[in-house]
Amino acid sequence: MKISRKWLEQLVDLNGIPDQEIASRLTMLGIEVESYENFSEKYKGFVVGHVLESSRHPNADRLHLCRVDIGGDVKDIVCGAPNVGAGQKVPVGLVGALVPHNQHDPDGNGFELTRAKIRGIESNGMICSAFELGLGDDKSGIMVFDNDAPTGEPLAKYLGLDDTVFEISLTPNRSDCLSHLGVAREIASAFSRKLSAKRPRFHETGDPIAAKVEVAAQDLCPRYSARVVKGIKVGHSPRWLKDALEKAGMRSINNVVDATNYVMLELGQPLHAFDLNLLSKQTIVVRRPNPNETTFTTLDGKERRIAPDMLMICDKEKIVAIAGVMGGMNSEISDGTVDVLIESANFLSTSIRRTAKRLGLSTEASYRFERGVDPDITLTALDRVAGIIEETAGGQVTKGTIDITASKFAAKRIDLHVDQVNRLLGTRLASGEIKRILDSIEIRSEKKSETVLVCSVPTFRVDIEREVDLIEEVARVYGYEKIEEARQTKLVFDTRFDKSDLVDEIRLFLAGAGFNEIVTNSLQPVHVASEESGRYVPVANPISEDMAAMRTSLLPGALSAVSLNLSHGIKDMKLFEAGRVYALSEKKELVGNYSERSPISLVITGFADPVSYDRQLHQYDLFDLKTEIERVLKRLQLDNWDFISYDSSRIYNQSLKLTLNGMDVGVAGRVGDKLLEKFSISQHLFFAELDLLQITSVNTQTKKFRSLPKFPFASIDLSFIVDSNVPVGNMTSSVKGVAGKMFRDISIFDLYTGKGIPEGQKSVAFNVVLGSDDRTLNDEDVAEFINEAETQLGREYSATLRRQKNR
Amino acid sequence: MPPMIDEILKLKEEATVAAGRLNSADEAETFRLKYLSRKGLVAQLFERLKDVPKEEKPQLGKSLNELRKSLETEFESAKSRIEGQSKVREEVPDLSLPGRKRYVGKMHPLTQTAAEIKRIFTGIGFGIADGPEIEDDYHNFEALNFPPDHPARDMQDTFFVSDDSGKFVLRTHTSGVQIRVMENNKPPIRVIMPGRCYRNEAISARAYCMFHQVEGLYVDKNVSLAELKGTISYFAKELFGSEVKTRFRPSFFPFTEPSAEVDIGCIFCGGKGCRLCKYAGWLEIMGCGMVDPNVFKFVRYDPAEVSGFAFGMGIERIAMLKYSIDDIRLFFENDIRFLNQF
Ligand SMILES: [Zn+2]
Repeated sequence: MKISRKWLEQLVDLNGIPDQEIASRLTMLGIEVESYENFSEKYKGFVVGHVLESSRHPNADRLHLCRVDIGGDVKDIVCGAPNVGAGQKVPVGLVGALVPHNQHDPDGNGFELTRAKIRGIESNGMICSAFELGLGDDKSGIMVFDNDAPTGEPLAKYLGLDDTVFEISLTPNRSDCLSHLGVAREIASAFSRKLSAKRPRFHETGDPIAAKVEVAAQDLCPRYSARVVKGIKVGHSPRWLKDALEKAGMRSINNVVDATNYVMLELGQPLHAFDLNLLSKQTIVVRRPNPNETTFTTLDGKERRIAPDMLMICDKEKIVAIAGVMGGMNSEISDGTVDVLIESANFLSTSIRRTAKRLGLSTEASYRFERGVDPDITLTALDRVAGIIEETAGGQVTKGTIDITASKFAAKRIDLHVDQVNRLLGTRLASGEIKRILDSIEIRSEKKSETVLVCSVPTFRVDIEREVDLIEEVARVYGYEKIEEARQTKLVFDTRFDKSDLVDEIRLFLAGAGFNEIVTNSLQPVHVASEESGRYVPVANPISEDMAAMRTSLLPGALSAVSLNLSHGIKDMKLFEAGRVYALSEKKELVGNYSERSPISLVITGFADPVSYDRQLHQYDLFDLKTEIERVLKRLQLDNWDFISYDSSRIYNQSLKLTLNGMDVGVAGRVGDKLLEKFSISQHLFFAELDLLQITSVNTQTKKFRSLPKFPFASIDLSFIVDSNVPVGNMTSSVKGVAGKMFRDISIFDLYTGKGIPEGQKSVAFNVVLGSDDRTLNDEDVAEFINEAETQLGREYSATLRRQKNR
Repeated sequence: MPPMIDEILKLKEEATVAAGRLNSADEAETFRLKYLSRKGLVAQLFERLKDVPKEEKPQLGKSLNELRKSLETEFESAKSRIEGQSKVREEVPDLSLPGRKRYVGKMHPLTQTAAEIKRIFTGIGFGIADGPEIEDDYHNFEALNFPPDHPARDMQDTFFVSDDSGKFVLRTHTSGVQIRVMENNKPPIRVIMPGRCYRNEAISARAYCMFHQVEGLYVDKNVSLAELKGTISYFAKELFGSEVKTRFRPSFFPFTEPSAEVDIGCIFCGGKGCRLCKYAGWLEIMGCGMVDPNVFKFVRYDPAEVSGFAFGMGIERIAMLKYSIDDIRLFFENDIRFLNQF
């Protein structure tokens, strides 16, 4: 919201308080000043000029040479605008002035005016467009003022902008500050100044008010007040009114509507003016719509669908406004309006909010009503607007007001316990000090006892309802900065919450293994999320179709990341991500039927190691991916995993399922070319997704020490010749089986086909480590093992033992 | 003419010294030619042996033989020394070669920042708790004192899950985890709750559709705003350096009362005012406040019995300040040239 200093000055004495001081004190009171602009500063060096002569530039057709009177001095200025002409009053920037915007700069940045030669002729200033001055979008030509604009007057003064405008960002609780009066109150408190107590001046004349108001839906309309002004002349608003509205960011419409908006900006009470003669029987009826009333055309010309629970302002026949949101075309103030009825009402905030939300229509009025408006200001606002209309549109204010209220609007009374204040704030404030603090923001209090104050909360503070709200007021006005910091000294002996995070450990481990961690968007297009599973979670109101579903896998995000880096020429990548995936579950989950898993993904692509002077380059393959997975599993102290091939040709070309104690805990594979193509990836890419939570649930036992082996191990090399299609994994299990209790470790140290090996066969060489807990293995043990291994593998795979060696 | 024996001794001395100084194969060859070749100095002495008197012959012959043997030994040892040297020289690699490269992995800057935040708070006794990202209206709003049809809900642009009930949302903050933690645990409670959140905002350099937050909650007897200030300013000093100033100013959140916004003195300009702090000298880092009694009522804690504070900060925001990152989208593009900088 925009707040003008000049306007504030009519409400509170600001003498001697600099803008900067106002901004910082308001901010520290919770009324955040985002920025402020002093227009006299901004337009320093700009004046109203009078173009005395304008002739064509001798060296350029489109340029004009102007002689401009700037008040006591005449400057030669070259001007490129097509609309410049002798006799005009125009804004002139003099040498040294900062032009806010450059029309020729793509970002519209400003520049400092210098004396310049333009096509050989000296120019001592610049005649500006509205765009250049930041006063509008018009770049087509210079601004031209009325003929009576005083030559030489500083531009800011002439425009009524010799003022500072504060841009205030308000939290939703402080609706009382959606007006100059509200902000003035805060300033009065902050600087111990008095609010000026000027009463609106106007004259009531003629007959008593004849219009009628009937409030049928009092549950939604606690108060409805109205005044009538007759015999007005609708027209342009005077300069002061236009300027005030424009500084606050509102457009001027006509003198009557502007007056209602002015009062809203000043006092916070939204007002609406009806053309009294367009109201049937000059009567207002506040009610819900009848069943046959389903649409209504608002002021902006749009037909709105209305619902039975919305509150309407009607006359005896028809709807004339959507209460608290927007008026209608059918009773709008027009040039021909002579008599007006001004509505100054209070509506139920939740009702207005629901209505505005459903209509998708937020107005200055609805914004205020939603947040809460002082119910006790309707009459003051009517008097104020009557005075302004009388001044700007003429007419006679009819005697009396209509005021229909559901109840009296008295100050709320709340008990405040001094010890509660100090308990919650960690302060040691005495009751006298608390009283003084509350007094400064018009909350009066009386001592009920030594430790209890009974506080009366004025009606404009609709946000204060409870003791804790008062405590906040005490803290706010006392000053958060004055509350001493206390350091926590209590130790915690709480074992309910984890202090360490296993996922973080795995992250560190993977980073150490050369993986870069990525973080990708959990929102994806539906066709991507559904690739992996049809049970994806759709978003009802996505930003775009690209983000209409929750991800079901970490793969698409990883592919996007790879794709981006490939486009930068980075071809070798090791990436991982630890993030959630989401699914519709068949059963009830913690929240609805939405399940969330937290897998870890691994991606490898390109060369297994960076290029180096004496290194054989090796392209990543599936076995490298297995290496990385196995390292993670070993890091987690696991040993009995299995990789099982399975077919998932939709996504992978070759793929494996990782199982742990028979449970599926992950997948790994070479991603299929079709999918890679969608991400413009044309190199092999290996991806694994591991369900970390399941994996870690397997290993919940604490680590236990096993005594170190007392007897040396025997290391035996065995090489077998076997049919090429026999899986080495199976042979490995068989060898392990034969070793039984003696088994300690096994590795495959050679795989060979070719010369010396019969066609269709391969040689597989194992190194097996055997041991015993209670003795040194002797030659017989080893020989027996070799024999059995030979027999077993011979039987199972028709393998023949080719060579054996006791290492 | 000196007696021949003197010449022999002199030659032996001279040649022995020369042999010791031999440093290359070329020099060794010159030495051999000079002393040991068929026309060399030793051979010349043997040649002269036929002219010496007969009685001196055996003695001189023996001396000459010893000389030749000695020089040959010297020569051989010099030669092997030289060869040895050159061999050693061949085996010394070019030490200016770099090491063989290996990939160096990094944790994502957001994870690093979160880890740092977790470290600071666990260090002063906070535990860690977790909650769902797809949340119900009750935990994300209602129990946090956002009444239905209240403008406070506009503070957060919410994504809804397509569902007939319309009551499931992508959580807009981690504050819902506060409710879950209190529902399941009796006070005292001291936890932080990191996690991913969502806001339905247009994507720009300043805003993304998702972000990460760390929520904090401390509930016990007599927890005060003074302690909140102490805790947060300690945190800010740990994270941004012991010189950093913190400022608390009144704000509004439905689930805290009183509420505060926390600013730190601008770390870029030292508080003098710059583009990054919008010339205010302060940078906003988090929101916080005293847990609203209404929230306690929802989780069946007695506000007369306990009080508490809560705070919440955006990890992206903190990381952007800490690393001077000016575009939030960089976190989610995963450009390795970006990731490798942290
Ligand atoms: Zn700064």
